[in-house]
Amino acid sequence: MRTSVIGIGLVALVVGATAPAAAQGLIFDARRIGMGGLTLGRSASLVRYNPAYRAVPEAADRRGRPRVTIPIPLGIIQFLHDHPHLSTDPAFHPDSAGFNPILAVNTLLNLPVYLEVKKAPTPTNDVVFAIGRNELRVNLGAAAQLVPEDQFGFGGSSRLLDPGFAIKGVRVSVLGWLHYDLGIQLGDTLLRFLRDSFPASDSTGYSVLGSGIAEGGLAPTISYAGRVAGDSSTGLYLGGALHYYFGAAYVRSNVTAGFRTDSVIFGGTNPATPFDSGLTSYSKAGNSPGHGVGGDVGIAWISGPIELGVGVNDIGATLTWSDTRQDSVFYRDSSFSKPFRSHVSTKTKLPVSYVANVTYTVGKTTLGADVLNAGRGATVHVGGEQRLGLIAVRGGVARDQRKRIEFGFGGGVRFGGLGLDVGFWTHTNSLSNERGVTMATSFSIY
Amino acid sequence: MRAKWLWMTGLTALVGAAAGACGQGQAVFNVDVLSFLSDSTVPYDVPGGVGPVDSTVSKRFSLPGGFSRSTVDSVSITGAAGLHNFSGGGTVVFDVFFAKNQGSLFTGTPYLTASSGHVTGDTTLSLIPPQTVSLADTVFHTDSLWVGIRARVTTDLPPLTHMIGQVRLTELRTHIVLNDKFF
Repeated sequence: MRTSVIGIGLVALVVGATAPAAAQGLIFDARRIGMGGLTLGRSASLVRYNPAYRAVPEAADRRGRPRVTIPIPLGIIQFLHDHPHLSTDPAFHPDSAGFNPILAVNTLLNLPVYLEVKKAPTPTNDVVFAIGRNELRVNLGAAAQLVPEDQFGFGGSSRLLDPGFAIKGVRVSVLGWLHYDLGIQLGDTLLRFLRDSFPASDSTGYSVLGSGIAEGGLAPTISYAGRVAGDSSTGLYLGGALHYYFGAAYVRSNVTAGFRTDSVIFGGTNPATPFDSGLTSYSKAGNSPGHGVGGDVGIAWISGPIELGVGVNDIGATLTWSDTRQDSVFYRDSSFSKPFRSHVSTKTKLPVSYVANVTYTVGKTTLGADVLNAGRGATVHVGGEQRLGLIAVRGGVARDQRKRIEFGFGGGVRFGGLGLDVGFWTHTNSLSNERGVTMATSFSIY
Repeated sequence: MRAKWLWMTGLTALVGAAAGACGQGQAVFNVDVLSFLSDSTVPYDVPGGVGPVDSTVSKRFSLPGGFSRSTVDSVSITGAAGLHNFSGGGTVVFDVFFAKNQGSLFTGTPYLTASSGHVTGDTTLSLIPPQTVSLADTVFHTDSLWVGIRARVTTDLPPLTHMIGQVRLTELRTHIVLNDKFF
């Protein structure tokens, strides 16, 4: 049981702290790291979120963009050096006396792909509990700042594959899609108890509100992308896509869970009684599929050195699931669920995601900015690259989903068709209020 | 079932993980033991010329789950009591004990001890034993604990004159420092 508690503790913290990382996705390109995560060209976010970019020519040589980027996972080497016997390493086994939850969580939060050149310091303060017959108070010290005030979690929508064919800008395809979202929010009483060191009250509930959804399926799609004005140097590009979503399966759960203190907190043998209540709705694979219609739109404008684009995905994408089962969840000595309703119709909604970008290229200088919202808050990247002969210098600033400012800088050297890039990026993904710094390295083939 | 357990344990885990996030910091428990005692007064009525005679009260109280699998770094105990002797004369020694079970409560060396010295007649005085500190005390390596208070009375002659009074505990706090594995 203790293993479960610790395990879920790690999960809870991972869920909370990985929100920005999950939303932005792992970046394996040291060039992007060096520009604070900024996307340039046709890679990553732009083509995914702006259907107009399917028609915009690559112009790869214009910005010195590589054709292939191969990450050099120095972080893995470092990690394996530090933990050569991972499967038996006590630091990662909760049942071991040497278990180190901080190390375990931070490893998950910062997958050791990159070299961690500056680890974010973890609060090392004492945690003080005040206990009396009708008194309970916790002072987490500096660690209280790690208790999230707002809802935390991760989520977004993914497009796993999109096979199809195109004729003159019109494309017919079948899109594989996935939507997932997990959010947890501490109730007011629990938040004050943990974060503000507020004394616990008797006969009072302390709860966490949790919600989660996962759904996926296929979407036959017809889309268009093309230049509607101008030429290859100056042009206006439009794109759009119409999806008919078939949902294969989904599950959605909303649960309030916590504990209620006794009439005298430590007056009896059971100072806190757990409770939970909630509703889980699901439609298994094989049930009637979900149905819905939605669309994407995008626009891109290329004018010499300037490039602008805006794309919005999954507009109006609401799915109706006609064969949903609903179970209620409750606690009576232990947790139970029982069928509530069957064969009911429910609806789910895919999050609207968007990207807006601007790029300015003059000579060997490229500057850019983008705003990306993948369904759980916007991230902003501003950065640039200056090429000086064989050398490139890069820098950037980002605002992550936690609204913290991160900094990136780096450089690269290019020898003919081969380049070596190094990028440094600050992050606040660790169990800390201070930034760490990671270093990414990658080869580029031009 | 497992999924539901996830929700239920999430709360506990959040506290635990947040506490765990304190790196090498320690978990410190300041326990107001006095508040757990429904009766903190130890009366005595002892004939003259006898002793020592013990008068005791004891109480079992629970500590938060986790103590039994934790390593106790140190325990410091602070206490105070008031003696009100109504009549007779003699000495009263005030002792505080902790034990894992009731049977072994009043054996061994008390954690706190203070002597009234010789008192006689209607007398009121404070008993303030010095704070004690013990390291790696295995008695506190448990989720529930017994606390006992003893008034050890030795009376003056003559036998017909009883020494009557009471010792009232006014403060009893423990400061327990755990090294690890609380959660």
